[in-house]
Amino acid sequence: MKSIKFFRILFLFFIFFKTTAQEFKLGKVSVAELEQKVHPKDSSAAAAILYKKGKARVEYDTNDGFILVTQVDTRIKIYKKGGYDWANQGVVYYVGSNDSREKVDFSDVNTYNLVNGKIEKTKLKSDGVFNEEVNKYRSRKKITMPNVKEGSVLEFSYTVRSPNIGMMREWAFQTGIPVNYSEYATYIPEYFTFNVRQKGYIFPKVTSERNNKSIMINSKERSEGIGPTTTTFYTDKVDYMETETTYIAQDLPAMKEESYVNNIDNYTSSLEQELSMVKYPNSPMETFSTDWNSVAKTIYEYSDFGPELNKTGYFENDLKVLLAGVTKPEEKILIIFNHVKSNVKWNKYYGYSCEKGVRKAYQEKSGNVAEINLMLTAMLRYAGLTANPVLVSTRSNGIALFPNRTAFNYVIGAVETPEGNILLDATDNFSVPNVLPTRALNWYGRLIRKDGSSDEVALMPKKPSSDIVFMNYSVDADGKITGKAKRQCSDYNAMIFRGNISEQKEEAYLEKLENDNNKIEISEYSRANEKELLLPVSETYSFTGSNLCEKIGDKIYVSPMLFFADEKNPFNQETREYPVDFGFPFLDKYNITIKIPDGFEIETLPVPAAMNMEGDLGAFKFNIAASENTLQMSVSHQINEAIFSTEQYEMLKEYYKTMIAKESEKIVLKKI
Amino acid sequence: MKIPCYALLFFLFTLVSSAQKGTYLISTIKDSLKENANSVVRLDQMDIVIASQRSMNIKTQRVVSVLNEKGLNDIDAYQHYDKTTAIKNIEAVVYDAFGNEIKKIKRKDFRDQSAVSGSTLFSDSRVVYLDYTPISYPFTIVYTSETETSNTAFIPQWYFLGGYYLSIEKCVLNVAFPNDLGFKKKEFQFSGYNIKKTVDTDTRLSYEAVNISAQKAEDLSPSSRDLFPRIMMGLERFHLEGVDGAATNWTDFGKWYSDKILAGTTDLPESTKLKIKEVVGNEKDPVKKAKLVYDFVQKKSRYVSIQVGIGGWKPMLASDVDRLGYGDCKALSNYTKALLQVVDVPSYNTVLYGDRYKFDIQSDFVSMQGNHMILAIPTGNNYTFLECTSQDDPFGYQGTFTDDRDVLVVKPEGGEIIRTKIYEDRGNIQRDKAVYTIDENGHFSGSISILSEGSVYSKKMQLEHLQPTEKEAHYKEYWDNINNLKLGKVTFTNDKENIRFTEDINVTAANYGAISANKMIFVIDAFNQYTGSVKRIRNRKNPFQIQRGYLDTDEIEINLPTGFSIEFLPSNFELKNKFGEYKTEIIKSENNKLIYKRSMFLNKGKYSNKEYDEYRLFMEQVSRNDNAKIILTKN
Repeated sequence: MKSIKFFRILFLFFIFFKTTAQEFKLGKVSVAELEQKVHPKDSSAAAAILYKKGKARVEYDTNDGFILVTQVDTRIKIYKKGGYDWANQGVVYYVGSNDSREKVDFSDVNTYNLVNGKIEKTKLKSDGVFNEEVNKYRSRKKITMPNVKEGSVLEFSYTVRSPNIGMMREWAFQTGIPVNYSEYATYIPEYFTFNVRQKGYIFPKVTSERNNKSIMINSKERSEGIGPTTTTFYTDKVDYMETETTYIAQDLPAMKEESYVNNIDNYTSSLEQELSMVKYPNSPMETFSTDWNSVAKTIYEYSDFGPELNKTGYFENDLKVLLAGVTKPEEKILIIFNHVKSNVKWNKYYGYSCEKGVRKAYQEKSGNVAEINLMLTAMLRYAGLTANPVLVSTRSNGIALFPNRTAFNYVIGAVETPEGNILLDATDNFSVPNVLPTRALNWYGRLIRKDGSSDEVALMPKKPSSDIVFMNYSVDADGKITGKAKRQCSDYNAMIFRGNISEQKEEAYLEKLENDNNKIEISEYSRANEKELLLPVSETYSFTGSNLCEKIGDKIYVSPMLFFADEKNPFNQETREYPVDFGFPFLDKYNITIKIPDGFEIETLPVPAAMNMEGDLGAFKFNIAASENTLQMSVSHQINEAIFSTEQYEMLKEYYKTMIAKESEKIVLKKI
Repeated sequence: MKIPCYALLFFLFTLVSSAQKGTYLISTIKDSLKENANSVVRLDQMDIVIASQRSMNIKTQRVVSVLNEKGLNDIDAYQHYDKTTAIKNIEAVVYDAFGNEIKKIKRKDFRDQSAVSGSTLFSDSRVVYLDYTPISYPFTIVYTSETETSNTAFIPQWYFLGGYYLSIEKCVLNVAFPNDLGFKKKEFQFSGYNIKKTVDTDTRLSYEAVNISAQKAEDLSPSSRDLFPRIMMGLERFHLEGVDGAATNWTDFGKWYSDKILAGTTDLPESTKLKIKEVVGNEKDPVKKAKLVYDFVQKKSRYVSIQVGIGGWKPMLASDVDRLGYGDCKALSNYTKALLQVVDVPSYNTVLYGDRYKFDIQSDFVSMQGNHMILAIPTGNNYTFLECTSQDDPFGYQGTFTDDRDVLVVKPEGGEIIRTKIYEDRGNIQRDKAVYTIDENGHFSGSISILSEGSVYSKKMQLEHLQPTEKEAHYKEYWDNINNLKLGKVTFTNDKENIRFTEDINVTAANYGAISANKMIFVIDAFNQYTGSVKRIRNRKNPFQIQRGYLDTDEIEINLPTGFSIEFLPSNFELKNKFGEYKTEIIKSENNKLIYKRSMFLNKGKYSNKEYDEYRLFMEQVSRNDNAKIILTKN
């Protein structure tokens, strides 16, 4: 539950701005804006958005009914050549089907420069506008601005016309460059209700008002009968209320990439809108999604989701054979899981909706995530288990923070047992029950039952995945090392290790292992449980190395963990903007036996040490002891949480610093 | 008479497909072809029919047995098309290991998508590609396609071996052409391969190769273009996007290029002519004039690539570049040329292969070649080359993208092959001058000045554009031998006149000296360690090459902590062989001070596979000595 708490904390730290709605109009570029040499708050910025103003309006069109028109006006300042990319702009739009085909138009595209103290305006002509047909579903309208130099101010406006009012776009207040002013307004007739979601660290100021509006609906009626046909025209005036909501944020710093970040979009200040209810006069109310339960129910009722779970005919015969005589639930789970994994291959497409359907996927032996995991769930149900689909948002899709249908883009299966849920994803070759591919490891999923009820399911693993090394080696009088090592990986580490070794031939793997580990020479290499996915996987090898110790004068300096020592602190940033995400908790353990050469004695030994992070977030233990010419050593490094908050960053950084300093201490051997 | 024709086709087709069944069994692949292979190309056949100067038809048949997931990339079932190249048909059939058909993929099931790539803003090129999810390995795909184009200026190069970890069972090339178009060909790197020329007449050419085993990729190898057997082909009379061409030598080719492609593209508005004359003022020296013009272009323009139709070869009009302030390499080179013309400085469009890897325009094969354009300005017997797509490059600087290679200089009186500027190994300099102090707790504080010249400059000049967080990350990576590094003040001086980049940096680091008991140990060479690792390669097969040499010299003054005495000091070290020279020296000077001097010189060169281990050992010794440690004892 720690992770959810953490996100609540974020919400408490909103930054509210004192905002005064500013009058910005395209075309009114000032000399001061053109003269500015650097951004006043971020001198390293190559460009900045001086303002960006969006209006999303649901309006009535006599031909198409209610449509969504979004207009965005932007003014950008270019400070340095590195910001020239901002002079190329593109808007992607949907062209897949006739009834939801979108239209995009750019207008008022101008570049402003200061020439001898005077403002010079260069207008974009048609030779700077391009339409790229990306594929049969999407197109992209692009512009490239004329006459751009360091110091230029660029302005452009675009309008997206969409016949589907459910397609309101996400509004990002923040981006890779500073944003001085960002305003977004929605105009929604009373017939529609949208859910609004805000995320990120900076929250806009919201104001709202209600306006009286009316629409004219024209209709005609033809009367046929005896005599000439007459046509009567009617015009109906319909009055309604429209809600105008304005969001304003100012002085937003540039987003910066960091390592160990799950997905930077999770932290970008932005706004999402989703249609949740439609209520026309004299018609029943139609709801779409207002909370997680109704989102789940809505998705379950989609024809390419729930009904796909009810189909069983296509696999029944196969399963009867496979499950004959099997009674234990855990055995059934494994048999079915392996059957799906080995027979239906993932085509690398995400989604919780089936494309060709489970039956066809089973016949063709390939399918998308939904086809594979819904088929899996259906088979588990057929075998008498309590199995349900779990909706997931992948890491690349961002954390599913707010209830809406687009929050999810993936689905896995779960079996309810007295010991808790067993999570299953059959799209990955090396995934096993409760070890999901990293892409699906993203906070919480939503489990949906047959009756449409749903529950939150924690996806982040609690159990540490281990990486255990046994090594014994001897040092000879010249500092050359000969030894044996065994490395054993469990759970997530095992999945990653298996993924790794499957990608390369053994010889290439060994060559890399040798080169990565100080050019040791490896022999007698073997692996155990490579294919036994439920067991930890291990590799064993003998090695020799002449670069592993240093012989200085008549002393030998041994770095006792050899190539297993962590040498670099991955957390070397001075400050941290976003949480650190390890993906899963882990335990690295080393048991090492060292034999020192004849004729040498130990001059100095590292001192045993131990440290714990606050709140049991992690622990490091380092033990070493000598008896005659043999040294025994045990080291463990354990991280108990997958995610560390920015407040915990300093502690994590210090922990790594201390650990690395300890691991790099040397044993000094002296000639007797 | 359409119906019988179809029937005949159908009949032929069924014949072909039934012949295929059972033909491509995995079990019939020779063991020698499976070694090191992720896939085996059972048949790679291309039938090129050049019907006339303006018509070329290409049929491709590619049968690939994919042995594992890494072999998926070798299927190569894709085809580009645009307004002048049409795909007449494209199809694939998948067979399992035993030759049973599992799936047939028709054109509509291929994906069709825009082929606009990374740095290009817009192009009309599209691609149709196969998106197949394998059910199990191994399997075999039979891919066939046919295209028709009016462009005969580019006949595809034929590679008998398409890549690493891929073996070839059979490879066939058939070309048919009219005898009056001046068809020509050139063979490269055939030796050591079993390639037969089966037909070579004045209207036909055929090759066949069998059993080429898979090769492993090895570090520092020459590009596969310089390693694998291939054939270049071309016509003396050709066609390109609506323009006919004819050339038997570079002079004619250059003339054609000038007249048909470049002519009429350099007009400028009067106002711009006046402006550039004003910029140049009374300057008389052509080089100084060119410098002023280059600076003008760099400030005015940016690189935007738009490739549509003939626009892929013909530069945008200079007047358009003038108005819009952007263009691709051709447009910007041509615009600069137009401006230079106004101030009476001659210059020439220059076609080449722009790449870090040096690749020549094939001088004995007159044809459309290259992927980039720069501008050549005659300076006495030499040329100065301008990279017009860069807003930062110093005048005449060629960095590592266009240096030391054969290029085609297009003059109105004809083309000429010229070698671009060579940056001498001893001119590729990094000179470090530094001082650091270690205190009694092992903490490190120091400052360094790093000066870079020659080809090294091209890498360093980019530092100026880094954001503060990127800068921090860069130096923490560059000095990853110093743990707990903290960056202090960083100043850059970019001397574009002398093409010299200087970094002045202050750094501190806790616990640089490792203390155990009463001893302190640390690496003397804190600032410039050779960290690149030369891999151990079992049984290297390919030659290797070092494309650019360099000379590093370092002088570091070290202040030792008080209250310690030196227990051990690494001895001076020197190493010299055909690869280069390496030397370190430590001088004890007064009151706890050391002077550390280091120089490392690496030659460029081409070497045989046998010499690789020698090179590796050389670099390893350098790396080990760079890591030499000093030991201090507390008094």
